[in-house]
Amino acid sequence: MHDRSILLVEDNPDDEALTRRALAKNNIQNEILLARDGAEALDRLFGTGPHAGRPAAPELVLLDLKLPKVDGLEVLRRIRANPGTRLLPVVILTSSREEKDVVSGYGLGANSYIRKPVDFGQFVEAVRQLGLYWLVLNEPPPRPDAA
Amino acid sequence: MGTGLSLERRIQLGFGIAVAIIVAVGAASLRSTDATVRGAHWVAHTLQVRAELEAGFADLMEAETGVRGYVITGDTSYLAPYQFVRATLNGRLAGLRALTADNPAQQRRLDSLDALVATRLERFQWTVDTRRTGGPAAAGRAVIGGRGKELMQQVRGLVRRMEEEEERLLAERSAALQAKARLARLAAWGGGLVAVTLAVVAGALITRELAGRRRAEQTLEQTRTRFQQMLASSTAVIYANAVSGSTFSPTWVSENVTRITGYAAGEPLEPTWWLDNLHPDDRARVLAELPALFANDQLTMEYRFRAKDGVYHWVHDEARLLRDAAGNPVEVVGSWVDITDRRQAEASLRASEARLRLLVGSVRDYAIYMLDPEGHVRSWNAGARQIKGYTESEILGQHSSRFYTPEDVAAGRPDASLQAAAAHGQFAEEAWRVRKDGSRFWADIVINAVRDDRGALVGFAKVTRDLTERKRAEQALRASEERFRILAATANDAILSADSHGNITYFNPGAERIFGFTAEEVSGRPLTTLMPERFQDAHHAGLARYLATGEPRVIGRTVELAGRRKDGTEFPLELSLAAWKQGADVAFTAIIRDITARKEAEDTLRRYASQLEAANHELEAFSYSVSHDLRAPLRSLDGFSQALLEDYHDRLDDTGRDFLQRVRAASQRMATLIDDLLSLSRVTRGELQVREVDLSALAGAAAAELQKSDPEREVSFTIAPDLVVRADPGLLRIVLQNLLANAWKFTGKCPRARVEVGSMAHDGRRAFFVRDDGAGFDMAYAAKLFGAFQRLHASDEFPGSGIGLATVQRIIHRHGGQVWAEGTPGRGATFYFTL
Repeated sequence: MHDRSILLVEDNPDDEALTRRALAKNNIQNEILLARDGAEALDRLFGTGPHAGRPAAPELVLLDLKLPKVDGLEVLRRIRANPGTRLLPVVILTSSREEKDVVSGYGLGANSYIRKPVDFGQFVEAVRQLGLYWLVLNEPPPRPDAA
Repeated sequence: MGTGLSLERRIQLGFGIAVAIIVAVGAASLRSTDATVRGAHWVAHTLQVRAELEAGFADLMEAETGVRGYVITGDTSYLAPYQFVRATLNGRLAGLRALTADNPAQQRRLDSLDALVATRLERFQWTVDTRRTGGPAAAGRAVIGGRGKELMQQVRGLVRRMEEEEERLLAERSAALQAKARLARLAAWGGGLVAVTLAVVAGALITRELAGRRRAEQTLEQTRTRFQQMLASSTAVIYANAVSGSTFSPTWVSENVTRITGYAAGEPLEPTWWLDNLHPDDRARVLAELPALFANDQLTMEYRFRAKDGVYHWVHDEARLLRDAAGNPVEVVGSWVDITDRRQAEASLRASEARLRLLVGSVRDYAIYMLDPEGHVRSWNAGARQIKGYTESEILGQHSSRFYTPEDVAAGRPDASLQAAAAHGQFAEEAWRVRKDGSRFWADIVINAVRDDRGALVGFAKVTRDLTERKRAEQALRASEERFRILAATANDAILSADSHGNITYFNPGAERIFGFTAEEVSGRPLTTLMPERFQDAHHAGLARYLATGEPRVIGRTVELAGRRKDGTEFPLELSLAAWKQGADVAFTAIIRDITARKEAEDTLRRYASQLEAANHELEAFSYSVSHDLRAPLRSLDGFSQALLEDYHDRLDDTGRDFLQRVRAASQRMATLIDDLLSLSRVTRGELQVREVDLSALAGAAAAELQKSDPEREVSFTIAPDLVVRADPGLLRIVLQNLLANAWKFTGKCPRARVEVGSMAHDGRRAFFVRDDGAGFDMAYAAKLFGAFQRLHASDEFPGSGIGLATVQRIIHRHGGQVWAEGTPGRGATFYFTL
């Protein structure tokens, strides 16, 4: 199933709103699936818990690191550990610029690491480039179920 | 051989006389023989003449007889003898004439005989003719009447006279011959006698001469042998060289040349043999001296000569030039003596003297000088100058009594000392002496009498040592010992000594306080008294090992051990142990410090350190959440303000929009502040990863980044190459980014800017700098530059958080370096740092 959705993993409603706004301002019309914490993100992706039997197949995951329950790096590790989501593009979108986070993120197989700028204009620009790259230019990996 | 010559003459003379005599005798004999032969000839001559005469007369008689027969008979056969005579008689008379040609008397007689015979023959013819014509009778008459008989008588008489003449001549000649023969015999005998006598005399003389000559030869041979032996055993080699121009070629050399040169005397040598084998270092000198040989006809040289085996020998060469009658150089004769040993002895003596002179000259602690027998100074060394203060030129020739104190001089000590030295060979004392400046010093003096080979006193050697220093040192030692005693008595630490058996010999008050024993209680007791039992075996083993091998384990180091007090309690101590020789024995001194308090302090410190580490961890976690959680609200502030501006633009007036812009600006500034604070705290965390860093490359990268951020600006970066340092690369990158960003920022108002990165020496260290020609700053505020949040410019002029330089300073300090700045408003700023 190729629904071209974006899974946004974000616990802060403000950031969620700003991200949606930035996407909208860049005319990215893809469906936004939201997960408030790491556990929900995993349930969504693997069709477990409340989403049992309905695994989402987004085209892109925007992942915050500092998350309640299960943190972002753990979510990334489990995405990469699962054969069905192993090749799923994951962009870390976070406030942290700590070197150890960047290193861990890439180490676990993140496709990009973007620090959320405070300046909203810059944020919009960042999201524009991100959407252009991952949703337009990038040729997504073949999905196991669609192959 | 003066007599030889005269003898030779005499012999020659003798032989000459003898030969003359023999020749004379020979001549006489020859003449005598001639006379004899001539005599015999004359006899034969006479006999021949007589025979011819007799035969002629007989023929004539026969013819007469025949003619008579014919006359008588008429038979012509009787005429045969007559015809024979007619045919032969003239020939016979001619032969007689030849035979007697030397005798005129006989010739005359022969003339008469010729005539008579011719007449007779004519008569015969006539008779014959008469017979034939006249018959027998006529003929008979003719014969009887004729003068035939008378003619025959005349012939007969003439023949007889001729014969008598020949006889007489013969007798006369024989007598002369005999007389001559007698004389010849006499001469032969006499001459022979004289010759024999002379020969005998000459023979005797020659024999005597030969004997003399043999004796002379023997004597010569003996002399020659003696000469050869003398030369062979002589150390001098005698040689002769032919001289041609100024070159020499060896012609003769004595046998012992082999000893010096290794060449045999008869060995054929090159003409340049002598020159070739001169030592290269001596050749020039020798060649320069050679002309003197021709000038003075003699020359003495010493040089090194290479023997056949290649070893150089020192040779003493005395040469004499011989000249011919015209004064031209002919030959050089001379002698060679091998003086290698003498040279070496001289050289080693010189070296030894030089060493001694150097030694004496360089000795500074001792005055060493010589006196003549009367006590005047004859030599002076550096030590003497130093100790007594006189220079050599001042003191030479002066009397040594001036070194004595006036009291000693008055007491006659100077002479007494010298007399004592002369009498006993040496005199020594310790006494006061006086320096040039009048000051006194306590001296140790030794005077030695110096005598020559025959034992005559030639002077004195004096050695004087200044003992003032030693006296002072003794006093200093006493003072030092006193100081040590006081120090040991007042020291807080325990100071104790032990002998080589490990028994306590000294125990200071500090030790009493620390261990609880009194000095009396432990004196002479083993050190183990002060140790817990578990250390005692190790102590015994260590002591034994040190005494056996001298190998120190604990000595010279500070070690931490445990001690035992009198009450049995243990305590930690720090021990410094020293060993030293006390005569033949070894002794130990230990300084012991009770480190109970220090140990406790260390424990506390360790505890604090771990607490600090925990706090740091907390701080890190805090920073992490700050970076996350403080920024999120700022994003909301900025983001929603922007949303308001966009979505509600029409419903806001200019003031409202301005307010929202201010909210946004404040949010963004705060975000920057948070970032800078985080980076400031980050530089204080974590270990420094020090390694070699190329500072030039880091600066270059930072500069490139800045230029990329604003390509419009004209800023020229000059970065010195190969600035390599040892530092943490990550932190040093932050330093350079900050400093270059600073320079970039504060040159922002210049149309063209210059930024320079380089290094220089500063207080013996290497300092690096970043220099710009931008806004600069007032040095009055230089101290504030590096404080966090300190800014010297308004935000709208040059934006910034005021944290960058604080970060730089913290990083530099973490590296143990220094950072400072110089600047002039409007003229730029320079930031320096060391690492």
